Amino acid sequence: MPWFLHLALRQLFPPGRRFPAFATVSILGVALGVASLLVVQTVMNGFGEEHRLRIRESFGDCVVTASAPIERPAELARTLGADPAVRSASPYAEGPALVRNGDFSAVAGVRGIDPSDPAQPARRYVAFGSFDEIDDGRVALGAGLARALRVRVGDKVELWSPAMAERAEKGRAPLPVELEVCAVIRTGFTEVDDRAALIPLRRFDDLWALGGRAHGLTLRLKEPAAAESVAERLSAARPGLAFIPWQHVKRNFLEAIRFEKTMLFFLMFIITLVASFSIGSTLFSAVIRRAREVGVLAALGAGRAELVLIFALQGLLIGLIGTLAGFGLTWTILTFRDGILGAVNRLFGDGDMVANVYQFSRVPLHYDASDFLVAAFFTLVTTAAAGLFPAIWAAGRKPSEAMRDA
Amino acid sequence: MPDSVLRAAGLVRSYASPAGPLCVLNGVSLDVRAGESVSVRGSSGSGKTTLLQILGGLDQPDAGVVEVLLPGLGLCPPRLALGRGVGFVFQNYQLMPELTAQENVALAARIAGIDAAEAARRAGELLGQVGLSARADHLPSKLSGGECQRVALARALVNRPPVLLADEPTGNLDERTAEEVMSLMLGVVATLGTALVLVTHSREFAERASRRYVLSGGVLSPA
Repeated sequence: MPWFLHLALRQLFPPGRRFPAFATVSILGVALGVASLLVVQTVMNGFGEEHRLRIRESFGDCVVTASAPIERPAELARTLGADPAVRSASPYAEGPALVRNGDFSAVAGVRGIDPSDPAQPARRYVAFGSFDEIDDGRVALGAGLARALRVRVGDKVELWSPAMAERAEKGRAPLPVELEVCAVIRTGFTEVDDRAALIPLRRFDDLWALGGRAHGLTLRLKEPAAAESVAERLSAARPGLAFIPWQHVKRNFLEAIRFEKTMLFFLMFIITLVASFSIGSTLFSAVIRRAREVGVLAALGAGRAELVLIFALQGLLIGLIGTLAGFGLTWTILTFRDGILGAVNRLFGDGDMVANVYQFSRVPLHYDASDFLVAAFFTLVTTAAAGLFPAIWAAGRKPSEAMRDA
Repeated sequence: MPDSVLRAAGLVRSYASPAGPLCVLNGVSLDVRAGESVSVRGSSGSGKTTLLQILGGLDQPDAGVVEVLLPGLGLCPPRLALGRGVGFVFQNYQLMPELTAQENVALAARIAGIDAAEAARRAGELLGQVGLSARADHLPSKLSGGECQRVALARALVNRPPVLLADEPTGNLDERTAEEVMSLMLGVVATLGTALVLVTHSREFAERASRRYVLSGGVLSPA
């Protein structure tokens, strides 16, 4: 080990002392700054990813619509499904309906789908029952909707569509259709869970009198990230249809999330910067306190670069250990995030804001290696710089002056 | 006659003061030969420490030339000889408080480019010569003033410099300890053949040097 690194380590962690106050406080400052930065970034990534996923699963990787309901949707689905970029194409129709179970009723967002399509995303979110049992007499309900109606798998619900009212004889109430609940779906998005009712497309066609048409098609792509280019290509070949990639479905919303993340990065980075300034200030005091030692080291033959390194390395070591501790703190906070948030909510009486405001069942997160690399890079640069400037000042002094002043 | 290990000629150094430039060295010349001991006495503020710092390359004269023998290279400016051509012993010991006695001595060798194993071996040997083998693993805070100064002496000599510059080495010690340290220093430099330039207030210690000078009014005169 080079002598200057040995000395830097000894000055940071002096032997024979139980509590290296300067090093501990500085490292904690950096760790808290890094953890604040990364917790915010990771949660923001989680929100972004969850929103993107929700958009894709609600609307598909690419939505095909037209100015009027699409004729012969099955034929179009076969044609589009044959495209090499498309994994599956599935027609859909959607509309509101009144659903009732005895004294409990709710407005459901009914979606007619192809239950035999293995790419239907709702399959992954079945909490109870079986998705494959959806048929003309069975429905899959979102967990919130099932709770509102007080129904479980095997119970029956009544459903009225607007078209049934139109078809009813004048002066007589339309008769509902009775559907058995075959599955309960919990996606974690309250917007979906509180409203969704999934039935086969042909049943939807009967109830809404669509005459074999569909409202649109949902495309699942082999490369969802390439949805924009695929949509452009398909659109050029079929001018009568609109191909909307998932990135454009809620474009402003996704842009807002990205912008919010960037802004939060800069705001949180200021915390790390403040920690670095405090390290710089403490190191500056240490350098002044050690001015005589700097002079002695020069008298022993230490070069200017080596003198600079002693203090710059201390800043760098604080940054390095603080960054690693910050990574650990980030992981700990994020692992126990729901418990921490629950405690904060109980403390301030805010209720479950994640579910109420953001419509997620828990705080989402998405670890992104680039966030950790960027945070580590900026932290190491700022902490090394914090040690570097006082070190350059100290090493630039005449040894005789340094020894006389201390 | 042995060759010179330190040569200074026409050294001038002055400091700015409210009353105008204060000249503390005014044409000082000194030639120190291998193995000899030279003492410089003078009152406080007479420029003794300034002279020593210029001789050792820690300060620059306004005028004049200093040359120090660097083994293998010959006479060269003292700035280049720091650590290897010149060893320093300071009044306040100036040990690194976070390093043990052994590490403090080895540090000077490591700075001079000697590998860790050889530096440790030399440090152990020199601590033995100054009678501190048993205290090698102690931090300076656990050593007495006399012991600290003995560690400082070992550190100054670990690179076997041709010249040892000692600035009031007994100034912080009681009479008995000062006597012990001074005897030890003179004995060790004599054993190693190292030349000694000793700055001191003490007439008694100054008398033990083979050549004696007094610095007064910026002029160095034989005592």
